[in-house]
Amino acid sequence: MKISKLLLSFVLSVSLFTQVLSAQMASTGVVLGESDTVSSKEKLVQILSREDVAQRFEEMGVDSKIIEARIASMTNEEASKMALQIETLPAGADAGMSIVGAIVFIFIVLLITDILGVTKVFNFTKPITNN
Amino acid sequence: MQTSYTPRLSAQELDARTLIPAKGGTLQIELIATARANGMLVYPIEPTFEALFAELSADHPVIVLVNRSYSWYPLWHYAPVLGYDAKAQTILSHFADTPKEALPIATFAALWERSGNWGVVLVPPEKLPTSATAKKFLSAAYDLEKIGMTSEAIIAYKTALTRWQDDIPLLFALANAYYRSHQLDQAEEIYRYILLIDPLYSFALNNLADLLCQTGRSDEALQLLDQVVTDNAEIQALVQATRQEIKMGCRE
Repeated sequence: MKISKLLLSFVLSVSLFTQVLSAQMASTGVVLGESDTVSSKEKLVQILSREDVAQRFEEMGVDSKIIEARIASMTNEEASKMALQIETLPAGADAGMSIVGAIVFIFIVLLITDILGVTKVFNFTKPITNN
Repeated sequence: MQTSYTPRLSAQELDARTLIPAKGGTLQIELIATARANGMLVYPIEPTFEALFAELSADHPVIVLVNRSYSWYPLWHYAPVLGYDAKAQTILSHFADTPKEALPIATFAALWERSGNWGVVLVPPEKLPTSATAKKFLSAAYDLEKIGMTSEAIIAYKTALTRWQDDIPLLFALANAYYRSHQLDQAEEIYRYILLIDPLYSFALNNLADLLCQTGRSDEALQLLDQVVTDNAEIQALVQATRQEIKMGCRE
């Protein structure tokens, strides 16, 4: 239901975006090396990748009320990349993130590397400087 | 030209729109998309210290992605970098809760390198990143247009034209954005300006012909199309389609 609404709003926004221009206009993408002709198959792929992202967002606990707005603010390229790589892309988190659950070995290794200045896992460490 | 920047989203909205709970953080794509939805132009810097320092020296904070740990136990983190202390060889960043925390440059370099030296500058559309190139800036501004923020994109194109005067791709983007937002007089003026600089610029010839057709000046439109010289099949097809449109009387 939510997803079909997203789909509909995207189809609408795409058709509005192109409707303003006649099909005979060269878009700005041509000077950036983007292809100007989007086949209907490519259009379908773009719509489906947005739907994919919406579904993954829902599974990953994103508030369903804002999924639509979040996906609408992505370009087609971003939405496609998201659909393909959402599992593997790095997610930057808070620097105060808890490391409870990390085994003692990792803790000690990282503490040492922090002090050596090659990592910065803990907020309380001051790296020794040798430069 | 607008001079004051007003954010579109509140801090709570920014928070809500960037977190993916299952990943416990924010993806780069969404950091960019949300900043853009907030009315900012997001410029990805070159992955070099040279680009980083260029922005810092103009007082543009750079948001970098760092891995605070190793690849086998990654702790990804975004840190706004605010300055560089050449004497102490430290990077000043709001790394955690301490404002302008000083990190030895070697430590920072090691952490930053793990993200492939990823960093972005956020500027309101009437400002330019110091390290920007015309083409990459155009691409970032066009991204604003792609998500429907055409008036911000127009400001950004105009800003860029103050640094790269008479840059044809930028002028073309500006004319298209005017056309897209139904400001036909401005669009026409800029297409004509492009043709003064380069009378054979086929994209401008085509789009101006299209505009003239839409505004009831088919004869001049056809004359413009006659001037297109190209062996590019895609441009030939485009021009053919415009010619067809003129024959059909321009309006459906």
